[in-house]
Amino acid sequence: MTNDGDRLSAHSSHQVSQERRVTFYFQGRPVGALSGDTVASALFAQGRRVFSRSFKYHRPRGLLCCSGDCPNCLMEIDGKPNIRACRVQVRPGLHARAQHAWPSVDHDFLRVIERFERLLPIGFYYKTLYKPQLLWKIAEPIIRKLAGLGRVSKQAPSEEYEHRYEFVDVIVIGGGPAGIEAAKVAASSGASVLLVENEPQLGGHLRYETKLYPYEELERPGYELAHMMNSALQNTADLSILTDATAFGSYEGGLVPVLQGRTLIHVRTRAMIVAAGCHQYLPVFRNNDLPGVMLSRSALRLMNLFAIRPGKRAAVYTANDQGYEAAFECLRHNIEVAALIDARKHVHRPERAFDLQLRGVPVISGMKIIEACGSRAVCAVKIASAEDSTRVDSSHQQTIKCDVVLVSTGSQGNSALLLQAGCQLGLDKQIGQPVPVRLAPGVFAAGEILGLRSLPSIIRSGQAAAQSAIQYLKLETVSWQDELDGLLAQARQQSNASFGSIRPTGGTKNFVCLCEDVTQMDLEQGVEEGFDEIETLKRYSTVSMGPCQGRMCARNSTEICAQATNRDFGAVGMTTARPPICPVPLGVLAGPEFHPVKRTSLHYKHLASTNKIMDMGLWKRPFVYTTVAEEYDAVRNHAGLIDVSTLGKLFVRGKDSPVLLDKLYTHWFSKLAVGRTRYGLMCDDSGTILDDGTVARLSDDRYYVTTSTGNIDFVEQWMKWWAAGTNWCVHIVNVTSGMAAVNLAGPKAREILAKVTPLDLSGPAFPYMACREARVAEVPALLLRVGFVGEIGWEIHFPADYGEYLWDVLLDAGRDYHLKPFGVETQRLLRLEKKHIIVGHDTDALSNPYDSDLQWVVKLDKPDFIGRHAHEKMRAQSGKNRLVGFQCVNGGQPDDGCAVVIRGKLAGRVTSARFSPKLNKYVGLAWLPTEHSRSGSEFGFYADGIVHPAVVVDEPFYDPEGNRLK
Amino acid sequence: MSFLMPCPNCGTRSVYEFRFGGEFRRRPDPGAPDSDWVDYVYNRANINGVQKEWWYHRDGCEKWFVAERDTTCNMVNASYWPYESL
Repeated sequence: MTNDGDRLSAHSSHQVSQERRVTFYFQGRPVGALSGDTVASALFAQGRRVFSRSFKYHRPRGLLCCSGDCPNCLMEIDGKPNIRACRVQVRPGLHARAQHAWPSVDHDFLRVIERFERLLPIGFYYKTLYKPQLLWKIAEPIIRKLAGLGRVSKQAPSEEYEHRYEFVDVIVIGGGPAGIEAAKVAASSGASVLLVENEPQLGGHLRYETKLYPYEELERPGYELAHMMNSALQNTADLSILTDATAFGSYEGGLVPVLQGRTLIHVRTRAMIVAAGCHQYLPVFRNNDLPGVMLSRSALRLMNLFAIRPGKRAAVYTANDQGYEAAFECLRHNIEVAALIDARKHVHRPERAFDLQLRGVPVISGMKIIEACGSRAVCAVKIASAEDSTRVDSSHQQTIKCDVVLVSTGSQGNSALLLQAGCQLGLDKQIGQPVPVRLAPGVFAAGEILGLRSLPSIIRSGQAAAQSAIQYLKLETVSWQDELDGLLAQARQQSNASFGSIRPTGGTKNFVCLCEDVTQMDLEQGVEEGFDEIETLKRYSTVSMGPCQGRMCARNSTEICAQATNRDFGAVGMTTARPPICPVPLGVLAGPEFHPVKRTSLHYKHLASTNKIMDMGLWKRPFVYTTVAEEYDAVRNHAGLIDVSTLGKLFVRGKDSPVLLDKLYTHWFSKLAVGRTRYGLMCDDSGTILDDGTVARLSDDRYYVTTSTGNIDFVEQWMKWWAAGTNWCVHIVNVTSGMAAVNLAGPKAREILAKVTPLDLSGPAFPYMACREARVAEVPALLLRVGFVGEIGWEIHFPADYGEYLWDVLLDAGRDYHLKPFGVETQRLLRLEKKHIIVGHDTDALSNPYDSDLQWVVKLDKPDFIGRHAHEKMRAQSGKNRLVGFQCVNGGQPDDGCAVVIRGKLAGRVTSARFSPKLNKYVGLAWLPTEHSRSGSEFGFYADGIVHPAVVVDEPFYDPEGNRLK
Repeated sequence: MSFLMPCPNCGTRSVYEFRFGGEFRRRPDPGAPDSDWVDYVYNRANINGVQKEWWYHRDGCEKWFVAERDTTCNMVNASYWPYESL
């Protein structure tokens, strides 16, 4: 024997390697483990029996399933909460901590809550602590602190996650004997196959069985068969195998996501074979949650995978033949078997019972466990006749001393993926578990999930499923339903289970839901209170809503509900299993961190002069270079240069391009002369503003359109949509990144630009709102004479590659004229003084041109355009609110978005506000009720905690006549 | 939602490459009565069954097409270029 008292000697079935030791830490103290151990098995081998504390009552919990199906081994591993210790392989330096217990998991003071059981019945938080209201204020923070299991560490370092994409013909879920066979047959027929197994090795339940199985004219122990099947599968063409991987959902379009470590694999498949096997669950008896009460397969795993004795004196509780095999397994490892309790009245294979009795094991049939005894670990079980329903006749009771209880009374298929894929399950009383009765197209099932128990039929079902899947892929008629019916008939024959004979015993502390500490009494009380449908009972009691998601409790809770409402199990039904079927970290779903950023081709020039870079959507733009005051002064009195490459830009060309533009914009564009530019407003048929921009006509069939920064995707799609389905000859090309643009504006702009272009820039040759194509410093460019900032200026659009070059050229040309670059913040102020609105900032999704003072852009003499009908109506009747300019009366600093207050009531909002050097006071734009929107109207805005007075101003604050622009 | 959308140009792709463009329907003529316009702007047929709808291949060929999708199970029966004017 090794130093770990419960370790067994090495065996070829083992997953652990006795030679290689690994040290990890539990609660900060080192633990010696074997390579291949899980955190749970290593701690168990060291003698630990209490692994966690239950959610509500803080009862001690021990290893129950060893397969990730129950909540009992949840721990914090390397800073991550709520990890099942039985699913994590040990590695050197790993840190495990128990959670949800104080001061320690072995001595948890919070178990005192259990004393108040009577005050905490099902749904107690709906019925108590609300009167007087103060009670809840006190109670809520306490309950919140006590609730929950693990804690999220805010110091946890962020991790990296990956996404992968796979496309296969067939995905096989489950690498047990049925899945292995299905994968082999499907791959050999030429399909591309992916086999997904959530354990570290293939083989399914065979891995931990030493029982002999007939296989190809030989008899071999299960684990040897597992090895053989695994080897046979390696190097099969067109077959990929994923281990330690969980397919956690079945979604539309054949999407089956697989979680493997920190990778999310999006698998698209055409056919799916679910061979995910079964899991066992506990029956309901008093103290059934005591450490030491475990599922029989759990004990087999401990013995045959991890070389650990689960106890010294076992009681085996069964309602099928599996329990007998578990008893023999215990004897093989020199574990005393105190008794085998068979809940069935008549044993299926009496010769096995006889063999056991020969070995000195009492076999007691027709009895059931009514109570497990012990305080922190089981020390005995009390049994009574299985016939009794509620009242137990104490004269027929027996007490059996034991330190571990192996339970094999019920099995449930791992059918969640089948249900999600649209298959129907039905409870088959003979088979003893819900089985698929109708599968969705392209979905197949094999193995224990169908209720099959004999290995040859399990393997044949894998073959049948694969053959049907191949038929389906070849678009041949599939005889799968008949196959399935045949397989289910076999399962019925093989069934040795008893169904419904183990009624929950009455009393308290008999747990149905281990995750949420829901007892039988809780559920019966819930039904009494009126929650008599399983859906409402589930939500009221929270049964099946914990980490196990119903795996341990779905059957029992449905049976209790059925019993309490005098209905059949089938009539009650089971709740819907939704994806994911295992915990999936949000980081895995998010994938690799990727934060796209858009930079103009002049970006590094800006970085060289300023570090005040702002975000405008995905774009990075310079906020200001020196100060707003300096830059404002430059633009108003000398010249300024701003990078406006973020504007959306489109070429719209083709003989029908005027037709399209006329249809989408409120103004005429077919009538726009070549060489002219016009402000364009685009609305939808409800009349609201979608975007604005400029449209320049370069020739009869060529226009250059600009849109707001960030709106180009929408505008491009909108234009293409209206052109789609017509026979118009129009082509729309998005050149937003291909073209850069700068705006050179100010009294000296003309002199500066004249230095670098041969084009005649004089007033008559290049009037306001005209456009010309010309070379600027040899760079082919499009010049638009527009006036967003209110000074004479040109927007120069040119191929983006020349960005840095042209920027330098222009700054150089302007040196003698005090030309300065200016940023977005200065531009905002300049345009605000002209009352130029910014769509999406000063307007919103309900603004229309009439309310936004843009009615002059709407040409109702045009027979049709998008929004025309609504605009006619709007022209006739004014809206409730209007966008107006305002200036402050005295003091107060309005902010973008601050509230407009009229007579003490909220009446609108300020959309933009800045300090205007021209007027030497704060000015802005605001939405006001129409009746208060006339020039001179007074209102208040709310800033710094008080309401300041302001007055409506009709005209632009700066150069209302527009003389500077001409 | 994870169904597959067949683009007439690019073939079957994940639906997340596309932008949904609404039901395929006729826009009222300019002179139509108010009730037609209100219905067009604010109401939708919202069919529980096969629906003809617009889709845009945003992460692909950037073209608009029409698809017929069964809204009860997200199966797309057909997709094609629009050929009639709205």
